[in-house]
Amino acid sequence: MTRERILQAAGLILVGFFAIFPFVYTANDYPFVMHVLTACFFYAVLASSWSMLAGYAGQFSFGHMGFTGIGAYTTALFCHYFYLSPVPTELCTEFQFGDQYLVVVDAIGVTSSTLTQDCLRQAMTIWNGSVEITPMPVWLGITLGTLMGGLFGLLIGLLVLPLRAAYLALFTLGFSEILRAAISAEIAITRGQAGIELPYLFDAGITLFGHHFDKTDKLPPYFVMLFLLLACLAIMVWLAKSKFGLFVRALREDQDAAAALGVNTTRYKILVFVLTSMMAAAAGAVMAHYIRIITPNNLMILQMSLVVAMAVIGGVESVVAAAIGAIAINFVLELLRNSFEIGPIEVDMTIWRLVVFGVLLMITLRFFRNGLIAPAINYFLRGHVAAETVAKRTAAMGDAEAET
Amino acid sequence: MEFPHIFWWTFAWMMFWAVTGSIAIRHAYLRRDLDTSNAPFVGAMLGAASGPLGLIPLYLNTPTITTRLMVAPPLAAVSVLMIAFGFADPENFCVSNGSFIASQIVNGLIIGIIYGFMALGLTLIFSILGVVSFAHGEFYMIGGMITYFLTAVWFPGMNPVIAISLACLTAFVLGAVFERMFLTPMYGGKIDRPVEYGILVTFGLAFTIQYFVQATAGANPLKAARYFDFPRIRLPTSADPWLIKTSRGNMELFDTVSISNPRFTAAVMCIVVFGLLLLFLHRTWQGKGLRAVSQDREAAAIAGINPDRMNMLAFALGGMIAALAGAMLVQAFSWLPQVGAIPAMRSFVILVLGGLGSVPGAFVGGVIVGLFEAAGTGCLPDAQKAASYIPAYGMIILTLTLLLRPTGLFGRRFASGAHGKF
Repeated sequence: MTRERILQAAGLILVGFFAIFPFVYTANDYPFVMHVLTACFFYAVLASSWSMLAGYAGQFSFGHMGFTGIGAYTTALFCHYFYLSPVPTELCTEFQFGDQYLVVVDAIGVTSSTLTQDCLRQAMTIWNGSVEITPMPVWLGITLGTLMGGLFGLLIGLLVLPLRAAYLALFTLGFSEILRAAISAEIAITRGQAGIELPYLFDAGITLFGHHFDKTDKLPPYFVMLFLLLACLAIMVWLAKSKFGLFVRALREDQDAAAALGVNTTRYKILVFVLTSMMAAAAGAVMAHYIRIITPNNLMILQMSLVVAMAVIGGVESVVAAAIGAIAINFVLELLRNSFEIGPIEVDMTIWRLVVFGVLLMITLRFFRNGLIAPAINYFLRGHVAAETVAKRTAAMGDAEAET
Repeated sequence: MEFPHIFWWTFAWMMFWAVTGSIAIRHAYLRRDLDTSNAPFVGAMLGAASGPLGLIPLYLNTPTITTRLMVAPPLAAVSVLMIAFGFADPENFCVSNGSFIASQIVNGLIIGIIYGFMALGLTLIFSILGVVSFAHGEFYMIGGMITYFLTAVWFPGMNPVIAISLACLTAFVLGAVFERMFLTPMYGGKIDRPVEYGILVTFGLAFTIQYFVQATAGANPLKAARYFDFPRIRLPTSADPWLIKTSRGNMELFDTVSISNPRFTAAVMCIVVFGLLLLFLHRTWQGKGLRAVSQDREAAAIAGINPDRMNMLAFALGGMIAALAGAMLVQAFSWLPQVGAIPAMRSFVILVLGGLGSVPGAFVGGVIVGLFEAAGTGCLPDAQKAASYIPAYGMIILTLTLLLRPTGLFGRRFASGAHGKF
């Protein structure tokens, strides 16, 4: 009991630290550190939701970045193509809602500023500043992105139902690659490799507790991302402790046995897919509004490998450990972006840090299969309960057989 | 496209009947308590090819699914799609221009053979260890890198044959050492989910190798010089060489099809090594041991074969095959540390299409993927779009195969080990 208290206290201290940090830290590199921490939280959401999917449910998906991209691109396209205008443009496709017009901007792809502009810009040139158009609210875009992520999660979850292990990994990899190719190819709509720009997370700035934050301030997105992380963690920890977590783990250990014992494997497999892809999509949408430009390369296998590595090093069977692992690793990786000299040889750490990271990943897998952080948490959480897994049981059975 | 609606309506019609067929035919076979493992595939393909005309008799009679029934409908479906495309876009080069079609087919075949060869390494690893090696592309990359550095930087003028052998040897040793150090815990049942462990740890190896090479060799594109020049051939006469005409870096057949030297040498090399590998697998003790372990681990162990030794051999051989493909292609493509990702993806596609663990499947699958890609890049009306979609073509095949026929073309269910449950 006391051990659990220590753990709770440590968790509270950690959350408190991140909550207070932006107010007490005043060094020169404040924007840099804040940016790195926001990215850390982004990766933490991804790593922990992936660990829910892969570690808890045993669905080894390599398409997690694809869902992030769906979230990001949904909100980007939504904010890019839909506007509200009090006056009809008479150039675009538009629908009347009360006294407002929903303007759908035509897709013109990548053009320079001297070429033909899209219909809304043309209309604005004609109006010459006399009409105020309203962009779509960012939160609506993020919500849509999250829902779209859930929808695709449902679709993928349905398609991968009969697939296991390596087949599942390859299928989800295929999904992610097709998505990336489609986004880079459909330049007319998505602007391809040129990337699509998004509005600020808080375009008009935001006033909190009497202090006005500018739209470029790092503090509001920092807290949005932190809240997103905490909300996702809370949902996942609650689910993991509930019947859902038990069923999902049963599904991982032996799908047929779980089904035989009355677990609706289809429903839980799909549920876990929908849930984790919604989280990835939400994180992607928020992050996209924070960095304000997305390209198809954000969905690359390399990004996926970072998320996977963070989750594995943290501990793939514990969502909290994966999140802490992601924060720690991303922070360290950013700090290592410098070079030093050993005698005459200059070592450029910007690249070598990733080599070290890869070696760390392999060694963690080989010798610390539960990750580096999960065992510490487990020590406090249920150090008194024997960790029981199928593998240990079969190993014990094997020993017993050898003795007889 | 001139009449896009012809193509898209045909396509929609085929898709509709394919989906209907895959569901309905599976239902029909299930109701009569017959083997349903191939029913969705046959239903989908017959539906796409003939619509209700073929589906209704199949639904009513539910015949035993023979090889003929498996092969004919997909071919028919592809033909229907091709004819529809021909009517929709008569001006397109790949409808109207015969020599363009011929050169696309030949180039697709050549690149397909090379892909198939790479996938062969992956298949070998999979059938013995039950692991899909995510580091396959990195073995390909280091094969090319080592050959380039040996022939161009460290020992300029080195005989490429020696350089390629050294590159293969390095990859072999690297594969063997990695297998001993990191993959051994998979075999004893000591870990929960060995397949996932294998995927992750090879993923880690890929990550490490890629950045290690980037840190040491830099991120600038490299390209090796041509290994061999074509001899000068003019047939039938030097004045009118309509049959075959070669220059040092290029070969032209029938005045229409032009094949570049690096790709040609790579393909020939791949075929030769493929033959040698078949000899090795079927005529030597070690090769027979490998095949025995892939069929049944325990039985092979009883017969006196050390499965662990075979694991090491398979992983090292697989890595070596990839490295050889890389060493042959470094003269054809610009080489970067990230260059392995593309052929690795192709290999995954071919592995699944050919059937996980099937040697002939790897080759046939490679040729199919190569032809499909050549058709995709050559025929899409918007050339820029076609090029951007290159990574997707293979992945479309992969997802379709996994959905319709997870065993692939020549797949089999494995008797033991961690492979085959899906």
